[in-house]
Amino acid sequence: MSKIVILGAGISGHVAASHLRRKLDKTHEVIVVSPNSNYQWIPSNIWVGIGRMKSKEILFPLAPLYKKKGIGFKQAKVTSFYPEGDSETEKPFVVAEYVSAEKKGETERITYDYLINATGPKLNFETTEGLNPGTNKTYSVCTYTHADHANEGLQALIAEMKKGKEAKIVIGTGHAKATCQGAAFEYILNVEQELRRQKVRDKAKITWISNEYKLGDFGMDGMLLSYGSNIMKSHEMVEMVFEDRNIDWILGAGVNKIEDGLAHYETLTGEYKTIEYDFAMLIPSFSGHGFKAFDKNNNDITDKLFKGFMIVDADYAPKPYEDWTVQDWPETYQNPNYQNIFAPGIAFAPPHSISKPRKSPNGTEIFPAPPRTGMPSGITAKLVADNIIDSIKNNTESLHHKGSMGNMGAACIASAGFGITKGSGVSITTFPIVPDYKKYPDTMGRKLGKTFGEIGLAGHWLKLMLHYAFIYKAKMRPFWYLIPE
Amino acid sequence: MTQRISKFKRFVMMNPIIQFFKFIFLSIKVLLIVAGGHGGTREVHK
Ligand SMILES: Cc1cc2nc3c(=O)[nH]c(=O)nc-3n(C[C@H](O)[C@H](O)[C@H](O)COP(=O)(O)OP(=O)(O)OC[C@H]3O[C@@H](n4cnc5c(N)ncnc54)[C@H](O)[C@@H]3O)c2cc1C
Repeated sequence: MSKIVILGAGISGHVAASHLRRKLDKTHEVIVVSPNSNYQWIPSNIWVGIGRMKSKEILFPLAPLYKKKGIGFKQAKVTSFYPEGDSETEKPFVVAEYVSAEKKGETERITYDYLINATGPKLNFETTEGLNPGTNKTYSVCTYTHADHANEGLQALIAEMKKGKEAKIVIGTGHAKATCQGAAFEYILNVEQELRRQKVRDKAKITWISNEYKLGDFGMDGMLLSYGSNIMKSHEMVEMVFEDRNIDWILGAGVNKIEDGLAHYETLTGEYKTIEYDFAMLIPSFSGHGFKAFDKNNNDITDKLFKGFMIVDADYAPKPYEDWTVQDWPETYQNPNYQNIFAPGIAFAPPHSISKPRKSPNGTEIFPAPPRTGMPSGITAKLVADNIIDSIKNNTESLHHKGSMGNMGAACIASAGFGITKGSGVSITTFPIVPDYKKYPDTMGRKLGKTFGEIGLAGHWLKLMLHYAFIYKAKMRPFWYLIPE
Repeated sequence: MTQRISKFKRFVMMNPIIQFFKFIFLSIKVLLIVAGGHGGTREVHK
């Protein structure tokens, strides 16, 4: 009889819970602890943020599904970890604080045999002064409530533009070390298309602002990809799309302060500049949740579990960019100090960035943090679940399932506009996600053919199909498990 | 604005019939890459 506790019901937490429940008999308990009562398919927030999809189309309540499937659900947020138990509770446990209306504020010690920390990132708006979604004319699309808000702001601006207002729109990253450039890239193209659809494109100046050194870095050090019969660099591809759509760009920019309609940023050349806007969507930096951990004598052991995010089987020894290898990246997502704790998805601490680190002459680090998109989040969650299942069934630790981001492909189907006949998508796949410069020395660390780009209507259809397929899968409808992560 | 995508290329990108075949091709290709397996890196390079 084992009890598996999963923290978080995002892509990775939900994938882990679903597979564990399907493959383990009911004598074993699977419990999810998450503060949000809904599951949300985050990638479709882009369309919520331009008003082409309602937020209710991308979410569903978790409690009824979990009840039906025999998964325990506690609508609570975890605050601290006791991986050795303490004087009162012998088994390892986490402390969670309920957020649901009936139990708000109550705390509970939730014991476990296996713990999966799938709490994703904290959206760290506070590290950029004045960056708070919905204020100072800046918005976010990182959650469905943020995306709804962004859409309201955008539609209000479009209404003014229809009356003749000339508008400045700025979209990109809101911190020197932000990640998730892909989401901002999708949003800028969708906003641009929405302005064309609403016949106000000529009234807008649209600017991409980002901490990337080159366009198309996406926190992945850029890539060399096959595009039709050509081979091109991702920056050339994105440059082509932006120029074609009349989108300007500012690169190597670490946004550090937001005032009403004014973004302050430092450049990699060390200059301090500002840009005015009437509407901005800036992705905040991501951080760990600031969890605390204690041993059985109540001593603080936070640094055994966390390094911002959770420590796993990565090689964290600091080394220069030139010495980075794919072997630095984790394979099993197991905490080295407590073998029954795992952290898939965004919750694990990466060994370092993927993009080359760069500093301004003032000493400010300006480069993207490494992204962990939906696909690797799902794949890593499934392999963690599979290792736990094997360990339970074999009654001995099994870490057979491995998945390093240095030996895993990912598809980024970036929406470039919504519409069954007018939509578009920039489909990019990479293999591997973390470039392996030893294995693929002549192709910027990636396998050509498996790393390719495509632009067109088919990309939109594909992204829409993925939306429906992944919501079907998340709802655990018949044969859901046949849809790969 | 600088026109970086030719009229012909744009036609190909937005033509539903051509794009239908592209959609099938892309779906299979993405499936193969993503479902095509993943693993560790450490033993391979030892
Ligand atoms: C706008 C946007 C668009 C994107 N588009 C794409 C895309 O097109 N393709 C793609 O592959 N990826 C995309 N991504 C990335 C993708 O959404 C993430 O990779 C994925 O959501 C990460 O999954 P996760 O489960 O690790 O984290 P999350 O999805 O963030 O889930 C974390 C979970 O933990 C819960 N939690 C938080 N704090 C606590 C706590 N204290 N205790 C318990 N639970 C807690 C949260 O409520 C949540 O349920 C996009 C991201 C954004 C923001």
